[in-house]
Amino acid sequence: MLLPWEYGVRNLARRPVRTALTMMALATVVMLVFVVVGFIRGLEQSLTASGDENVVLVYSVNSEENIENSSIPARTPALLTASVDGTVKRFGLNHASPELYAGTRVKSENNEGGLGLVRGVTLTAPLVRRSVQLIDGAWPSDGEVMVGRLAAAKLGSSEDELAIGKSIEFEGRSWNISGRFAAGGAAYESEIWCRLSDFQTASKRQDISLVALLLSPGSSPAEVELFCKERTDLELRAIAETEYYAALQLHYKPVRLLAWLVVVLVSSAGIFAGLNMMYGAVAGRVREIATLQAIGYRRRAILISLIQEGVLLSAAGSLASGVIALTLLNGMAVRFTMGAFTLRIDGVAILIGCSVGLLLGVVGALPPALKALRAEVAASLKAV
Amino acid sequence: MKVRSSIALVVLTLGSVGCQSNDSSSPTANSSQSTSTFLVESEPTGAMPVGEARAKSEDGQEVTLVGLIGGSSKPFVEGLAAFTIVDPKVPYCADDEGCPTPWDYCCQTEAVKENIATIKLVDEAGKPVASSARDLLKVKELSTVVVKGKAKRDEQGNLTVAANQVFVRPGK
Repeated sequence: MLLPWEYGVRNLARRPVRTALTMMALATVVMLVFVVVGFIRGLEQSLTASGDENVVLVYSVNSEENIENSSIPARTPALLTASVDGTVKRFGLNHASPELYAGTRVKSENNEGGLGLVRGVTLTAPLVRRSVQLIDGAWPSDGEVMVGRLAAAKLGSSEDELAIGKSIEFEGRSWNISGRFAAGGAAYESEIWCRLSDFQTASKRQDISLVALLLSPGSSPAEVELFCKERTDLELRAIAETEYYAALQLHYKPVRLLAWLVVVLVSSAGIFAGLNMMYGAVAGRVREIATLQAIGYRRRAILISLIQEGVLLSAAGSLASGVIALTLLNGMAVRFTMGAFTLRIDGVAILIGCSVGLLLGVVGALPPALKALRAEVAASLKAV
Repeated sequence: MKVRSSIALVVLTLGSVGCQSNDSSSPTANSSQSTSTFLVESEPTGAMPVGEARAKSEDGQEVTLVGLIGGSSKPFVEGLAAFTIVDPKVPYCADDEGCPTPWDYCCQTEAVKENIATIKLVDEAGKPVASSARDLLKVKELSTVVVKGKAKRDEQGNLTVAANQVFVRPGK
């Protein structure tokens, strides 16, 4: 015969302070798991969302995987669109976006400034970077910039400092903020965009970093790659944008592995903390457990009741953590080497966090309960 | 009636099995056919190294080149039967140097510029075959190949060969 469900529930209410403290400890552990898993999911999402399968990036073969170090002649876009079939062309306009991309120190009005990512673009950029949406203000004209949704996080400044109408400084001149843009979680959201010609003038450069081409359906990035191989004098390389960001995913693999290791360590620490608390909780109830055995309850029934208490506590802790994570942590901007991204408390994060929470409840309750049940009933009844 | 139904079922089953086996054999046949179209068993005569070909060949001329597959970290074009080759006289990193990608000739970048050619296997219409040369020719980086085809030159001195015959020298 099992103990009544209410018995376990009432037991929790009998020691409210201990119950509250235990629940807070479990909730903290689950919260840490949410933070780390949210970090991993946010990083993965940012790199996945950044690639468009119809876009090919063409940049210098000498810059390896780092587009910031790339420098190619400004005539490259015209050469590419004239030589390679398959670039989308509508109303006489080739969907090829020449871009100058650089990391540079950006100062805001009340901030010493941080390393920002600036991209000089032309009006063809939104035709190729299809995820980019102007969410507020206007497209930049001379001496103006538009800032990504996460640019403030990347610079370590407040949102107010990058509001429309404010000004920032980089490359030795002042720029007015004309608009804000989003890009569906892609890496561009941490960037600052201005006109290509303006950025070339300010940085005293005549070259560009890359050309992004939007290919028509049925065209293959291999055709662009073949052109780059044939024109060895240009020293270009072409890579599908999805492949580029997949390579970045590989680059950040050690970070992700480390983060998963943190999840395991935090969970283990949580289990040990849970064990400690449950040992304390069960140790004070040796007589109660022996009494239950004496009046006829089987050990299995008592064990299930103790696990029920542990799981109830951990489920409540997980639920509280989940609510806090979804309302406060989800979407929080994180600064990172490649830019910035948002913590992502999605279904996977919730599943992992709550699973760890419930595991804490079961595994934390088992050993002390087993220990208490193994003791002699007669001796336990006399225990103080 | 039951006997007739059973016979009809057996005939249908055998028929469908027969059809399936025909279908599954066709891609293999196509694959081996396309492979044999380009691969030749005897080495074409008169092959010249890539550097010499860059100096002597003219646009539209029939040429035979010899070279090693390489010239960059990714010499093969994924998705098309095309790759770059480098003149055998240009040295690449020795095995004992521990370079993970010796075929990129990272220590000889200047020499590679004048000793590299692009090879593309083309169909009858002159378009590159939409298949990886690695699979089609069973070659890998630093394989030595002798290719025969039509040279395409441009004003910048680049050399591309639209190849119709490839011989893979045994060895590396």
